[in-house]
Amino acid sequence: MRNRDVSFWLFLTPVLLGLGLVVIVPLIYGTYYSFTDWNGIKATEFVGFEHYIRLFQDTAFLNAIWFTVKFSFVTVIALNVLGLGLAILVTRKLKTSNLLRTVFFMPNMIGGLILGFIWQFIFINVFSDIGEALGIEALQGWLSTTGTGFWGLVILTCWQMAGYIMIIYIAYLQNIPSELIEAAKIDGANSFQRFKSITFPLVAPAFTVSLFLTLSNSFKIYDQNLSLTNGGPYESTQMVAMEIVKTAFSANEMAYGQAKAVVFFIIVAAIALTQVYYNKKREVDL
Amino acid sequence: MKGKKFYVKAISALALSGILLAGCGSSDEGSSNDTASGDKVTIDIFQNKVEFKTQFEELVAQYEEENPDVKINVKTVGGGTDYAPVLKSTFSSGEEINIFNVTGPQDVIDYKEYLTDLSGTKAAEAALDGTLATVLDGEQILGLPVNQEGYGLVYNKAIFEKAGIDPSTIQTHEDLENVVKTLDSKKDELGIEAVFALPGKEAWVLGDHLANAFLADEFNHSVVESFNADTVKFEKGDEMQRFLDLMNKYSVQPVLSLDYSQQVEEYFSLERVAMIQQGNWVFPSVEQMDEEVAQNIGILPIPVEGYEGSIPVGVSSYWAVNSSADEAEVQASKDFLDWMYTSDTGKEAVLTSFKFIPAYEGYDTDKISDPLSQDVYRYASEGKTIGWIFAGYPSNPWGTGVAGPNMQQYIDGKMTWDEVEADSIKQWEEKRK
Repeated sequence: MRNRDVSFWLFLTPVLLGLGLVVIVPLIYGTYYSFTDWNGIKATEFVGFEHYIRLFQDTAFLNAIWFTVKFSFVTVIALNVLGLGLAILVTRKLKTSNLLRTVFFMPNMIGGLILGFIWQFIFINVFSDIGEALGIEALQGWLSTTGTGFWGLVILTCWQMAGYIMIIYIAYLQNIPSELIEAAKIDGANSFQRFKSITFPLVAPAFTVSLFLTLSNSFKIYDQNLSLTNGGPYESTQMVAMEIVKTAFSANEMAYGQAKAVVFFIIVAAIALTQVYYNKKREVDL
Repeated sequence: MKGKKFYVKAISALALSGILLAGCGSSDEGSSNDTASGDKVTIDIFQNKVEFKTQFEELVAQYEEENPDVKINVKTVGGGTDYAPVLKSTFSSGEEINIFNVTGPQDVIDYKEYLTDLSGTKAAEAALDGTLATVLDGEQILGLPVNQEGYGLVYNKAIFEKAGIDPSTIQTHEDLENVVKTLDSKKDELGIEAVFALPGKEAWVLGDHLANAFLADEFNHSVVESFNADTVKFEKGDEMQRFLDLMNKYSVQPVLSLDYSQQVEEYFSLERVAMIQQGNWVFPSVEQMDEEVAQNIGILPIPVEGYEGSIPVGVSSYWAVNSSADEAEVQASKDFLDWMYTSDTGKEAVLTSFKFIPAYEGYDTDKISDPLSQDVYRYASEGKTIGWIFAGYPSNPWGTGVAGPNMQQYIDGKMTWDEVEADSIKQWEEKRK
C-alpha cells in the first residue's frame, strides 16, 4: 500500500473521474449556488448567508428534521435488531435456511416507490378490512393520522431493509471460528453467555457497517416517503429529503432548497462519521 | 521485468479510462448532431400532457406528411414526473427546445427572455376572450392556450335519477345540502357507501380547486390580479368552510388518507359514491373503469353565493415558442401551432382525438365527445363561469403547501377554521412582501 506509483493512480482514474463528476463537482456547484439567488435557470446576485439564516427559522424544515430524527432513531434500532435476529435464524442449521435467506432478502429487490404503493394498499385497505372483521379499532384509518403515518413508514422501511442488513450479519456470523464456540461450550457457557461474550463482540464490525448503512439510509429516505404518505396528512410526515425537493421544485426556490441540502449534508455527514468513529474504537480483532 | 509490468498496468488503466471518456463523448455527439442536420427545419416540442401523447404524436406525423421540409420531435414529461423541474434543467443544460408549455404567471416571468411574441398568429386571434390573460404582456401575447378545463361536482346521473332528484334544481348551498341529505338517507337503497368521496390527501383538491371557487370573486376572476395581490381576505371564507364541512361530513372516511385515484376509480367509477369534486379530466379514468358509468355523468356547480349555477373554467397550460432559436425554427413552430388550432384537420383532431374543450373560436362544438367536456363547454358558452386564479397564488406554494395542509389540519381537528384563514392570510402576505 505504501508505494503508490503511477499505476496506482492510473487504476484509480476511472473511479475518481466518475466520483468527481457526479459527486464532488455537483457538491461544489451546489454549495456555491446556495449563496446566490439561483432560480434554476440563472443566478444573478450573491446573497451571502441569507438562506442559511432563514432556514433556521423555517418551521417546515425544522419539523421535517425532527420527524426524520425520530424516524431514524426508531428505524435504526428496529432494523438492526431485526437484521441480526433474521441472520441468527438463518445461520442455524435449518433445512429451509437457504429459502428463508432468499425470501427475507427479496423485498430489497423491489424499488422503494413500488413498495410504497403496495404498502399503501395494505395499510389503507387490507388493514381496515382486517380491523373490520376482527373489530380492532386500531387497524382502521391508517396513514390518515401523523402517528400511523410514522409507524407505516417505519414498518415499510424495516420490511425493505431488514434482509439487506441480515446479509451483512450473516457474513460476519459465518466468519466466527467454530473452535471458539466449542471451547466456550466445553467451559460450560450457556447459549446466552456464548452470544454475549463471543458472537456479539465478533460481529461488532458488522454493527459499524450496518449502523452506518441504516442511519444514512433512513436519513435520506425519499421515494418510500413520497409513495406511502407523500408527507400527508398536512405535511406532518414529511422527511428532510422531501422537504428539500418541495422547496426547490414546488416552491421554486432553488437556491434556498440548495442551502437546506447543504445543511442536511453536513448533519448526515457529521452523524455518520461520529458513529463510525466510535464504533471503530469498540471493534475487536481476532 | 518490473518495468514491463508497469507498462501493462499503465496501458490497461488508460484503456479503462478511455472507455469511460469515450462513453461520455459519443453521447454528446449524438445529441448535438441531429439539431444541425440538413436544410430541413427541425423543431423540438417538449410538452406536459401525458394523457394525449399518442394522439398528439399522430397529429404531428400527419403534419410532417403535409409539410415534408419540417421535422418535429416530441418529448413528453408529466403525470408522475413534474414537468417544471425537467423543463428548467433542459433549459439550463442548453438543449434547444422550440415549443414548450408554461402554466402560470410565474412561468411567464421566469422564462420571459425565451418567450416569442405570438400576437400575429391566427391561433392567437381565434383565442376566446379571457383565455390569454395569463400570457399577456402589454401588447404581446406570449403563449397560446392548450385547452379549457373546468371542475365542479362530478355526479352520477343514474344514482340521482334513482333517488328522484332533478340535478338542475341545485343552485344554492341549501339546495345542495338537501339533496345530500336525501341521498344520505337512501344510501342502502341506492347501493352507495357515502354521498361524497373527499380526497383529503390531495392538497391540490382542497387548496387549489376548492379554495379557488370561493376566492376567485375577490380577485375579480383574474389570475393576474391574484398574482399581484398583496393579501387574500377570505371574503367567502364562511361559505368555503360550509362547503368543506358538508363534503367531509358525508364523505367516505377517513378522508385524510383518501387520494385521487381512490376517489375517482375506486369510489366514483364503481358507483360507491354519488358525487366527487373533480373536473372534466377524470373522464378517461372513469371510462377505463366502466364505460357505461362514464357516459352517464355530469358536472354540477359548486354553490358560491352570487355565482349560483356557475363552475370554475380556465386554461391550465399554454404553448410557448422559444425565441432563442433561429428565425426559421421560430416561424416553423408558429406555423405548426396555427395549423393545429385553426386548420380543419387540426380542429378535427383537437375535438375528436385529443378530446379537448377548445379555447378557440370556430369549432363545431357538437363534436365534443365526452359528457363532462360538454357540460364544461355549456357552462362556458353560457358565460356561467368562475375564474381560475390559483395559478396566481404565491409560490410557497400557497395552494398545495399552505391552504391545502391547513384545511387538512382543520379536517383532523388540529386547527379551527379561524386559524386556517389567519395562517393562510399570514403566509400569503409574507410571500408577497
